[in-house]
Amino acid sequence: MAPLSLALLVLLAPLASAAVIALLLRRRGGLASVVSVTAALVVAGAGLALVLGGDRFMASMPWLQVGGFTLTVGFQFDDLAALMLAIVGIAGLAVHVFSLGYMHDDGARARYFGGLSVFMFSMLGIVLADNLLMIFVFWELVGFSSYLLINHYHEKASAADAAKKAFIVNRVGDFGFLLGILWCQASLGTVNLTEIAAAVGGGQVVSAGIPLLLFCGALGKSAQMPLHVWLPDAMEGPTPVSALIHAATMVAAGIYMLCRIEPLFAAAPAALDVVLWVGTVTALYAALCAIVQNDIKKVLAYSTLSQLGYMVAAFGLGALRMRHGDGAAAHEIVLAAGAGTAMFHLTTHAFFKALLFLGSGAVIHACHHEQDILRMGGLRRLPVTFATFTLGVLAIIGTPGLAGFFSKDAILYLALANSPIVFGVLALTAVLTSFYMVRMWKLVFFGAPRSESASHAHEGGLSMALPLIVLAVLAIIAGYGGVYGKLAGSFADLLPHAHGSDHITVLVTSIAVLAIGAGAAWAFYPAAGEDALAKRVPGAYAGLQLLNGSFDAAYSFYVAKVQQRFAMLLNFLEQIVLAGLIIRGVAGVVGLVGIGVRALHVGSLHVYVYWFLLGAALLWALVTGVF
Amino acid sequence: MTIGLNAYITLSVILFALGFLGVLLRKNTLVIYMCLELMLVASTLALVAFSRFNSLLDGNVFVFFILTVAAAEVAVGLAIIVALFRRRQTVQVDELNALRD
Repeated sequence: MAPLSLALLVLLAPLASAAVIALLLRRRGGLASVVSVTAALVVAGAGLALVLGGDRFMASMPWLQVGGFTLTVGFQFDDLAALMLAIVGIAGLAVHVFSLGYMHDDGARARYFGGLSVFMFSMLGIVLADNLLMIFVFWELVGFSSYLLINHYHEKASAADAAKKAFIVNRVGDFGFLLGILWCQASLGTVNLTEIAAAVGGGQVVSAGIPLLLFCGALGKSAQMPLHVWLPDAMEGPTPVSALIHAATMVAAGIYMLCRIEPLFAAAPAALDVVLWVGTVTALYAALCAIVQNDIKKVLAYSTLSQLGYMVAAFGLGALRMRHGDGAAAHEIVLAAGAGTAMFHLTTHAFFKALLFLGSGAVIHACHHEQDILRMGGLRRLPVTFATFTLGVLAIIGTPGLAGFFSKDAILYLALANSPIVFGVLALTAVLTSFYMVRMWKLVFFGAPRSESASHAHEGGLSMALPLIVLAVLAIIAGYGGVYGKLAGSFADLLPHAHGSDHITVLVTSIAVLAIGAGAAWAFYPAAGEDALAKRVPGAYAGLQLLNGSFDAAYSFYVAKVQQRFAMLLNFLEQIVLAGLIIRGVAGVVGLVGIGVRALHVGSLHVYVYWFLLGAALLWALVTGVF
Repeated sequence: MTIGLNAYITLSVILFALGFLGVLLRKNTLVIYMCLELMLVASTLALVAFSRFNSLLDGNVFVFFILTVAAAEVAVGLAIIVALFRRRQTVQVDELNALRD
């Protein structure tokens, strides 16, 4: 098949699946899941054929024409899109298959699988889109499907609230995104990605406001501070959804979009600094919050936030300047290393975090929907879950040889080269990462079972084990050039490679933070039904809890106390001035005039003749100038 | 003795005033109607007099128009009064006050 028709097949297969499920199979959960998994298989198969086939192409057609302005829809299938397509295809298939087992007894399976298909369609639209407006359309669609899937257990008030929160918080970011797109169109005259790159490359001056407003979109979707509040709550959705949408793909869409508009940032370095610090602060903040979480999914959610912060910070670190050769032959090379390392970490993170989430799904499934890690323990008895989850933990904390090690090292090296302060913060974050991950790992899998459900835990079926194994393999190999280079093509060339003393520094730091964090957590936390930090250092525990809740508290203060009061004031003014004075007032004046005029209407012809006479006399007086 | 313009105008004014007072004071619709006609005729008399004394035909032309319109008006007006009487059994103005407040 031609590459273009393959790409169309990849994009439209999930849409067809969603349409079939929505129109025909709403009460046929079993059939719906088969249809949806088939669509995911087609996406993964055709997608990987496209990626590995090596064809890179662009195609577009006009969609809307308004005066001189033409809106096009089209594909821009370059190496970056290919990499993202591979991630979405593989993670999507794994989650679909896992859902077969995990959601087997769910009453609303058809809606769930339909939602997954809608999500796959929208996400692939973002991946393949060739202009910002098309990205925006699919951007909103992923927001919608995320809402749909977080809300899966809609009879639970907390799930319904979480879905609304996710949607509204994203809307705040998307508003900035839309403004950025409009500004981009106004200032560069185009929203097409290739044309933007060409315009910027041609020396067009770009205001830092454009990339910053576009970054607002990523702020919402990739849950960066201060819009990160929705992601931990989004864990109310089914666990496979958290794996696919809130760990591997949708939240990564923000990073992907940043890489798509990298030329704009290269032209406005001030914007890049903002991105850098937002990412760095988010990474540290979320890692601190993760320490005091007791819900297994919340730990992973904060970990996702932290890792997304890592990626955003990596992007914000920007280009790397390197000197090659020596003497007269020396020349400087500028490598767009920020985007390269961000996408590298995105790739490895997608695999190991999807693995961790699906592993947590297996744990939750095994423990009959117990999510509190303090009430687990002793789950080493589940061989597949334990082995794969352990690999995921080892990968995320950066154990040498696993995927996370390589991508984290790339980011740390770039930070060391461009900004030592950020390097320090990110290294500290890495310590915290291994600390909270090992804490969770120990509490879940070691010691004696601490609750009825944990002691009766049992392994899920084949459909749950298989995706775990595949993702575990990927969590090991995705960092190696042989695999990543295949998936990312020329985009893999953007990775910086440390040499000499920097190499040693990064390597030593990386292993040191791993050892410190993991060792401290292992020593500090007994596998007991009580949080050791809360018991031994209650002050620090309370402080972290306070930090964790601070944003939500600030937002609810703002909404309830400031915005609500302002709305009440406006409502009061509306009632008094608009409804009272203006509307009722005008009606009252007209009514009064009516009453007065009605009194003249006496029903006697002669009185009217006198009025007529009076009128004629008045006119005569006016004309002759008596008045 | 020659009769001057003033005499015609005076006669016209007297006729007009009679008509107007009739409209004001009489209660019978039919009489009011005849008084209205009297006012029209008074104005045509003035127009004919002006035409005669200015040796112009303009006034006469107006008179023809007024007479034509008055004839049409009478046809319609009398028909309305007859229809009114059939319906209400009266043509007294002070009893025709259904539109009062």
